[in-house]
Amino acid sequence: MSKPPPITNRVRELREARAMTQAELGDAIGVTRHTIIAIEQGHYSPSLESAFRIARLFGLGLEDVFGWEEPARSARGGKR
Amino acid sequence: MSFREKSAWLMVICLGVVSIGYAALVTTMSTAVGQLVPPLIPLLVVFTILVAVLATGSHILIAVFAPKDAAAPVDERDRAISARAGAWSGYVFATGIALALGQYLIGRNGDLLFYCVFGSWVLAQLSEYAFAIALYRRGI
Repeated sequence: MSKPPPITNRVRELREARAMTQAELGDAIGVTRHTIIAIEQGHYSPSLESAFRIARLFGLGLEDVFGWEEPARSARGGKR
Repeated sequence: MSFREKSAWLMVICLGVVSIGYAALVTTMSTAVGQLVPPLIPLLVVFTILVAVLATGSHILIAVFAPKDAAAPVDERDRAISARAGAWSGYVFATGIALALGQYLIGRNGDLLFYCVFGSWVLAQLSEYAFAIALYRRGI
């Protein structure tokens, strides 16, 4: 079905460093605790708006929280 | 498991069980009279009431055990999952309708057409819940 999105994040690490619960983070950015769990597990890539809200909440830039992992190239992978 | 996922599981069970019961009853009646029985309004009314009662009762039950989850508004992930599951189940419905129309063109059996359309609708609903469960569990 759906492949894991190539977007990585440090949400769990940053949340735990601030001693926040998943429910508190969810309330702060307007999503449910289950969505925070899905984001932390890499099962869901948040909308741009939620991503900005999370980054702002941690006082960081978007790319300090979220990253882009290049998908592995196939055996017949194209040239750069 | 979120309230929405639990809700999807409950709907699969409620709709699935009642639909199987309905199909079994129609099959038994048709076998007894030796031909497909026409759709009966009282049976359909009972079907609708049973699904509504079972779905409402089971949702009240899970809401009592997890009131905070039940009261949480639908968020962006729920909306995305609902949209994708709805779109995919649309293909199931369209395929069923196409097959139902095809059988009518060949067989000219209006009763069978009704059952095929009704069955397509039930299958599409069941598949929508199943797709939602899969997306909740495997990610979107």
